[in-house]
Amino acid sequence: MTEATSTAAKATPITVHVLFFSVLRERVGRGEIDVSIGSGACASQLLDELSRVYPAVDAFRGITRIAVNQIYVDEFVELTEGDEVALITPVSGG
Amino acid sequence: MNEVKNADTWILLTAKPLAVDAVAAFLRDERAGAINLFLGTTRQWTRGRETMNLEYEAYEGMAVEEMQRIAREAVKRWPVEKVAVHHRTGVVRVAESSVLIGLSTPHRADSFEATRFLIDSLKETVPIWKRERYTNGEVEWVRGSGRGGEAHQA
Repeated sequence: MTEATSTAAKATPITVHVLFFSVLRERVGRGEIDVSIGSGACASQLLDELSRVYPAVDAFRGITRIAVNQIYVDEFVELTEGDEVALITPVSGG
Repeated sequence: MNEVKNADTWILLTAKPLAVDAVAAFLRDERAGAINLFLGTTRQWTRGRETMNLEYEAYEGMAVEEMQRIAREAVKRWPVEKVAVHHRTGVVRVAESSVLIGLSTPHRADSFEATRFLIDSLKETVPIWKRERYTNGEVEWVRGSGRGGEAHQA
């Protein structure tokens, strides 16, 4: 399901699978969504889109780390079709 | 897959009680002069509030990947013969263990340093979160000890 569509979407948007956990999962109200975004978009642009739709993502933006396909990345990594993108608020295992 | 086990590394994410004796047996090694085991347990009292239990949520695939990564890092930095990193998911009651770090080394000093590195790294990077349930009915996500953790309860 498409939850957010980039206003900057190019001719060939891509779809990425976004995961929420813990406090974000609760506040967003679900653990995963598919998001359509313009090809060539980076993780930072995806966060911009999500922040517009979900106030919780915006509230935690400054302390959220991004993992793409289960590896921590910086916000400027380019996303590709089918990527699994996890928003990781400060972890508290142990 | 929530378990990776080979001759010298045992990584596990499980909803069951942690198997301390099995880990100690796994770590035992003729090259080692020390086996160090660390257990993180659910504390009853924190700053005057009584805890009923902790509930752990994991990003399962990545959590196992990160646990493997920090174990590999420990093996690179210290002469570790065998290493185990186990973590619970779901509800962990007071006094029960949520995390188990274990390793064997030729000499004891390295075992303490490597264990400290592993538990500190786990709390910083492994994508697992805990929710604390107090006896007064309050429930809250525990603020992370890692980067940005101070503002976690915003």
